[in-house]
Amino acid sequence: MGELTQAIREHAARLLQEGRVDVVIGFKTGTVPLRAQPAFITEPEQAAELVHNSFCQNNLASYLTRRPDTERIGIICRGCESRAVHVLVSEHQHDREGLYVIGVPCAGIIDRHKIERQGELDLETVEVWEEGEEVIVALDDGEQRYARAEVLDDACLRCAHPQPTDADLLLADLPDNGASVDRWAAVDAFESLPPAERFARFAQEAERCIRCYACREACPTCYCTECFVDHNNPRWCESMVTAGGTHAWHVIRAFHQAGRCVSCGACERACPMEIKMTYLTDKLNYDMAQQYGFEPGMSDDATPPFAAFTLDDADRFVR
Amino acid sequence: MSDLWPPRILVFQCQYSVYSETEREAISSQLPPHVKHVQVPCSGRISPLFVLNAIQGGVDGVLICGCVPEKCHFKAGNLGARRQLDAFRAFLSYLGVEEERVRFAWIDPAERGRVLQEIAALEEALASLGQASRLVTRVPLQPQGERPWAS
Repeated sequence: MGELTQAIREHAARLLQEGRVDVVIGFKTGTVPLRAQPAFITEPEQAAELVHNSFCQNNLASYLTRRPDTERIGIICRGCESRAVHVLVSEHQHDREGLYVIGVPCAGIIDRHKIERQGELDLETVEVWEEGEEVIVALDDGEQRYARAEVLDDACLRCAHPQPTDADLLLADLPDNGASVDRWAAVDAFESLPPAERFARFAQEAERCIRCYACREACPTCYCTECFVDHNNPRWCESMVTAGGTHAWHVIRAFHQAGRCVSCGACERACPMEIKMTYLTDKLNYDMAQQYGFEPGMSDDATPPFAAFTLDDADRFVR
Repeated sequence: MSDLWPPRILVFQCQYSVYSETEREAISSQLPPHVKHVQVPCSGRISPLFVLNAIQGGVDGVLICGCVPEKCHFKAGNLGARRQLDAFRAFLSYLGVEEERVRFAWIDPAERGRVLQEIAALEEALASLGQASRLVTRVPLQPQGERPWAS
């Protein structure tokens, strides 16, 4: 057990004991390797279940809007989760006073599909753990080692702020590597293609969708009580698994994230069809950053970009 | 393809940008059948979903008319629409849909005949683009309800 896990357990137990929070949201070991499971700890004794590793796939901030309003929540946050918390606070979805953000350093999330592909393994039956910069998969006959960088999730490879922002308690310090990564790599690659090719790729990705809405459920900033696709009087878009329905879902889902997406990649990790989605939300984030200097989740009092319109906005189409 | 010409156009228009009687009369009587005119309470009401729906439904071009900045009946509805719809058009162009298919016109209620001018300008731009195909998923009815196989 790492020092960090130990520290998380101690602080979680202390916060619950002192009555600072009613619940601590963190991760516990799941039933399958490579996937930790979200845990809701309400008693100090349960805090020993908490773990922290690179197999924590969910974004815990997505649970904030599903807990009762009056509950005081301690939440264990990596960089992306802390940004999601700030987006939710700035959109008045939760009081900042009712939250206790426990910031933890993040070395990135392991993409289980990459390990599955590389080793052609049935991961339900093996054990996996990490050692420093290596991920080790135990097989029936020996073990397989992977360099962390090779099996890291795409969103984590592009992560500019792994350090939690504005945490109440920071358990370790991590340098901000914002300058060293190419955040917009996926956007640039897509944008360099000719329009027909771009549309073909978008259609190919979107049309694999089975419309289970796992991306929506995994997303911390998708919190509407009634989503536009669930609304059926009037019906805003096709609700079937058709080209029209899946296109509309992917276009509008991404567009509703414009300048709000914290680029955690939880949507892609949740997708059973492995559909790429972050190239859409990243583009909208890129536009919002370029045009209005907007960076999602960096403060609690930022107005979302579409609400912050002014008279001086670019007049590109006004004639 | 040529039998689907002239291009289908959908016009979303803020009701306050066609304030004068003569302008209203012109729009209701002079629009050709391939142009559909939809009045909305304010350009701020035009959701990107409406624009997407129009494109999916097979229109070749969408024209969005709102009041000029500072002349919005609801003070700032057009400013909200400007930021959001501009971002949406850029997003559609990122997905490979031709940017020229979505056009915006900020109309001063005092300007007469501006809507018809803008429709003509959009038609001209669409002539070089041809019929829309990307994102179009519902086959539209032919102009005038013709059914080529039925004759």
